[in-house]
Parts: sequence; C-alpha cells; structure tokens
Amino acid sequence: MNLTELMTRRVVVCCGAGGVGKTTMSAAIGCAAAHQGIRVAVVTIDPARRLAAALGLSDLGDTPRQVDLGEMTGPGALWALQLDAKATFDRLIHRHAPDRAAAERILANRIYQHLSRAVAGSQEYMAVERLNELTEDPRFDLIVLDTPPAQNALDFLDAPQRMADFIEGKALRMLLSPSAAHGHLGWRMLHAGSSTVFSILERVTGAQLLRDLGDFLSAFDGMYAGFATRAAAVRTLLHSERSAFVVVACPDDAPVREAVALIDRLRTDQFPVAGAIMNRVHSTPSAHLDLGALRTAVMPISLGAPDDLIARINDQWIEDQVRADRDHDACVRLAHALGGHEILTVQELDDAPVDVHGLIGLANVLGAATDPPDGTHR
Amino acid sequence: MASSPTPTHATPTGPGLGDRRLIFVLGKGGVGKSVVSSTLAMMWASRGQRVIIAEVANQHRLSEVFATHDAPPNVATELAPNLWGISIDVDRSTQEYLASQIKIRPLVDLLVRSRAFHTFAAAAPGLAELVTLGKIWELAVALEGGHPIWDKVIVDCPATGHGIALLRTAGNVTELAAQGPVRDQAHRIEEVVMHPSATGIVVVARPEELPVSEAIDAITELRRDNFPVAATVMNALVKMRFSDEEARALADIVAADRVTDAALHGARAAHRRQVRAHGHLAHFTAATHLTPLILPDIGPGPITPARLGVLATQCAAQVNR
Repeated sequence: MNLTELMTRRVVVCCGAGGVGKTTMSAAIGCAAAHQGIRVAVVTIDPARRLAAALGLSDLGDTPRQVDLGEMTGPGALWALQLDAKATFDRLIHRHAPDRAAAERILANRIYQHLSRAVAGSQEYMAVERLNELTEDPRFDLIVLDTPPAQNALDFLDAPQRMADFIEGKALRMLLSPSAAHGHLGWRMLHAGSSTVFSILERVTGAQLLRDLGDFLSAFDGMYAGFATRAAAVRTLLHSERSAFVVVACPDDAPVREAVALIDRLRTDQFPVAGAIMNRVHSTPSAHLDLGALRTAVMPISLGAPDDLIARINDQWIEDQVRADRDHDACVRLAHALGGHEILTVQELDDAPVDVHGLIGLANVLGAATDPPDGTHR
Repeated sequence: MASSPTPTHATPTGPGLGDRRLIFVLGKGGVGKSVVSSTLAMMWASRGQRVIIAEVANQHRLSEVFATHDAPPNVATELAPNLWGISIDVDRSTQEYLASQIKIRPLVDLLVRSRAFHTFAAAAPGLAELVTLGKIWELAVALEGGHPIWDKVIVDCPATGHGIALLRTAGNVTELAAQGPVRDQAHRIEEVVMHPSATGIVVVARPEELPVSEAIDAITELRRDNFPVAATVMNALVKMRFSDEEARALADIVAADRVTDAALHGARAAHRRQVRAHGHLAHFTAATHLTPLILPDIGPGPITPARLGVLATQCAAQVNR
C-alpha cells in the first residue's frame, strides 16, 4: 500500500473489526496527509477521550474543528469531527423538508425519534451522509472516514441501504395505505393481499405502532427523492477511483479473519481496496538465547537468586518469539488475502497514541513503511 | 511492588454473580467477550449447572472456541458436558415470534413472504434486537417439569454500543408501541432484563486505555439507568513477572552480545507493559468501585477447550457459586 498515492484520493475509508485501532489509524492517516500539504478532514465515530481531546473534540457537536499540529507546518491542515448521527439526521430533515412544519412533523414522530437514535443502522447511514456533506465542503481536499463499531465489520456496507429502503418504504406504503390505489382497479387487484398482511401485522404490533409508521412514511413523502439522490451520489463516489478503502486489523485470529472477509466482500462489490494496515505487530529477532551469556550479564545484579531471574527472562524471550511468529503468520495471511500486496505494519507501541505528537509519530511510521513510488520495494 | 493495586473491597448491590440466571457479557470489540462468556460457562458447567451460551449477530465464535461445527441457527447444541451453545438468528427468531403470536400458520407464511414485511423487518428500529432479546428471554424463563431448563443463560453480547442497545431495546419498544402484543411481550422481557437479582451484566475490559475507559463509561450509563451491573472482568492481565527493582537493575547492565541484549530489552519492555496493565486495573477498580474478576493473559494462539479449562479454574477461585 502506498500512503502517498492514498493521499491523492478524495475519500479514504478505514474499516475493520472492533478494537483494532481504526480510529487511531484514521487520525494518523489524516496527520500524514496534512503533513504532505493536504487539507484533510477526519470523521471519527467514537474516539477515546484523550484522543478526542487531542483532536480538539472534547466538547460534543459534529462540526469540523481544526487540529493544532504544533511542530508540523505547511500548506496542509487537519480537521477533525465526531459523528453525531442524530444531529446529522435532523439536519438532513431540515434541509430536505419542503417547509418548517413538515420538518417538525418528522422530528416529532416517535418512529423517527427511535430510528435516528438507533445504534444499529442509523450510525452507518449517517456516517455515509456526513461523508457526502463533507465532500461538498470546499475546505477539504480529502476526507478520512472511520467506520462505526458494527456487530460485524461488513455491517457498515449494508446498513445505509437497509435504512434508505425503510425510509423510502415503497412496499410499506402499499401495506399501510392500500387505499392509495387512486381507484385504479388493476393496481388494487395487484395489491389485494396488502390489506390482509396489514391486518395480520396489526394483530402483532397493535394499531398505534402502524399508525405512527404510516405518519412517518407520509411525512417523508416528497422528501425521499432528495435522500435517494444523495445515497446514489455517495455510492458512486465510494465505488470510484476517487475513494480508497483501507482495511485495518491486528494480529489476533478473529480480527484477521474479519479483515480477510471484509477484503473479499469489498472486492466482490467492486469497492476500491487500497490496502491493509496490520496494527500492534510484535517483532523479536528469532534467535537462540545463550543462558550462559545471560548469566554473565545478569551476574552483577545482587537481587537474590539469579537463576530465578534468568529463568524468567528466558520465559519472556520465548513468549515474545512465539508472539512474533504468530504476528508474522497473521501478516502473511492478510497479505495473501490482498493478493500478495504489501501490507503496512505498525509495531506494538508502549501506549496507543493519544496526543497529536503521538499521531504524528504514527503517521511517520506509516509513511516510512510505505512502498516507494516506483513500487519495487518488497 | 509499587505498581500492584490495592483491591478495594466494594461489592455490587444484590446477590453474587452465581445466584443470577441471565448473564449478559458486555465490552468493547476485541476485549475477549467470547472467551469470558465461555470461561464463565465452563466454570458453572463444571459445578454441575446446566449452562447455555447465546451468541448473537452471526458471530460464530463459539464453534471456534469449542472446535465444533457451526450448529444450525436457533438450535441448542451441546458443546461440552452440561454446556450448550445457541446462535440466535434474527430472521428465524422473527418467524418463531410471529408464529407464537399469530398462531395460524398460513397467516404467518403470508406475512413472512410479503415484501412489505421484509422491508419493515430489515430496518424497523429495534426489531432485530427485540426478537434477539425475546429469544434470550425465552431461554431464561423456559421451564421443564416446573424447573428451569437452564441454570445459567450467558449472552455473548455484541460490542458495547450495540450491546447496550440490545439491553435497552425492550424498554424502547414498550415506549414505542403503546399497546398490543408486541408491547406486552416487550414489557415482560424488560422486567426480566432489568431484574436486580435474576439478571447480571458483566462488563469486560482489557488492561488498556481504550477498553477500560469504554467499560467505565458503559458501567456509569448502565447504573444510571438501573441496569443490574453484577460484576466486572479484567481479561488478559499480564503476569507480574519482573519487579520494579529488577527492572531498574536490568537497565544498568550491558550485554556482550546482541541476543542477550535483546532479551534484557524484552524483559524491561515486559515490565513496562505489566506496570501499565496493572495501572489500568487499579484505575478500573477505583472508578467502578468493583473488584474485577481477573483472567490472566494466556499468550498468543487460538483459544482451545484445554486453555479454556485453565481459565475456568482461575475464574472458579474468584467466584463463590
């Protein structure tokens, strides 16, 4: 993966299993881009508090804030924001509603209130919508999108469409208002089953819930086209060469397996996969430890039984080697899934970077691990 | 050792973990929720209890941990003596739920086949969570001959935000659907999930900054809303292998060769890691007023039933019943 090439895109999406460091990597890629003179906005989903503080996101609100990069100067700039799904959704409603009263009607609808706060679905949908908004903002050359902590890493690809279908509610509209057949006999016959389905569903949900749902859908009448246009635009953007997907993993079994599945799925759906980052890799030179030499080295320490200390140092050495071997295997598996492309590896750090200085350090690591432009490095 | 924490002997209100039937295992992605769920399950199973682990959202972690084939969804499968697993599938559970409510098979089929219902089911806020939770509730209240079928139902929850959403879903639906069977069902589920002695939420962290702060935030939120937080777990805690004194002494020695030097370096790095990890543990304990159950770091490599047995034994020493 070539970081420099990545910076020429319009959108970079970081995805992967939970807990692998997606947010940190998104921020580091943002830092690296700013370092190269690019004006970049990083959309974080749920940053850890200290990272959020470092990015100037300690207060709530989802407007981009410029990050003070301190020692790093130049034409580039880093902006960061934290996704607020509910605020984004509300803003969309205000923007697309024909008038204020229509907007208020939706905002007050109980189905809408639950939908816009739902963790599953709404966050993914709004991440994509927020991305769309930001691509229209002339301040930014590049947008780096961190993806929500989904139940599984593939969710964020499917959730926006599911949500859009629900709001569009073509099928649901027929179900909820079979009378909307405009007296057209053919239509009515075609959908004769709908009223039956409606009455069965009503037996389960109660009438109130379906009434609210009907209100919700009718409130969206005339607005859906705006939503659909935007969704289509963002889909086109994400499938184009102006976007790049970066899969992040760490060398444990489950995250690597999720990363491999994610790469397959992205490729199948023809999203532009730019590469992968393996985070938290341990490396220890593979070598036999000479216990005699260790004893000589440790001898000057007068802390009781040296044998015990020597044994523990040796145990640690062996453990570190096993871990390094396993991490190496994990990297090979991930590279294989990418079709033999080089993956970027980031060594296990003493502490996850939680300030701008740490992020710049990580950005440098990513930059240094990048293939040179001629691509000959292997 | 300066870095080792003094345990604060705070206990949660209500009964101990072992006295509760329905256990939700919650935590950030990657902290080891499946390992903790399986460890608790194995511990209770070895004490002669009938235990079932429920996994949600097609995780398929159980079949890896217990080295079995993927069982069909919604079917309880024996993984070890006294220990069963079930993978809860949303579509299947929705159909089961509709069948139990409507009772007339052709009507259920009509509904399930309709496109309108599918759009509704795919994105209706909270529906997937509600049927999942409903299935879990069924396991928790299932009786056979007047006795509960399961002594313990352990839920391997999705990552924190989604996990809390799962716990909240019954309450949300109760509020959303003013009346009708869905509302009544949601209310029954809510009563069990919120029950201060029937249900226990176990919040898992790893000794790292992000998982610990996320776990603390989750506990604060759950407690504020009266969810029964029963215990915390610190998973994968590294051994205290080197003392502070040893680490200081090792910093001063010069090795004659590269490998020895690397090994000394490795020992000091391990010491730094253990100090940091135990610092995170101390912070977690202090911030939550709970002494976490501690599961040791078992090193790299996949979890096997044998390694799980080791963890279960360690766990058993810390859990009374």
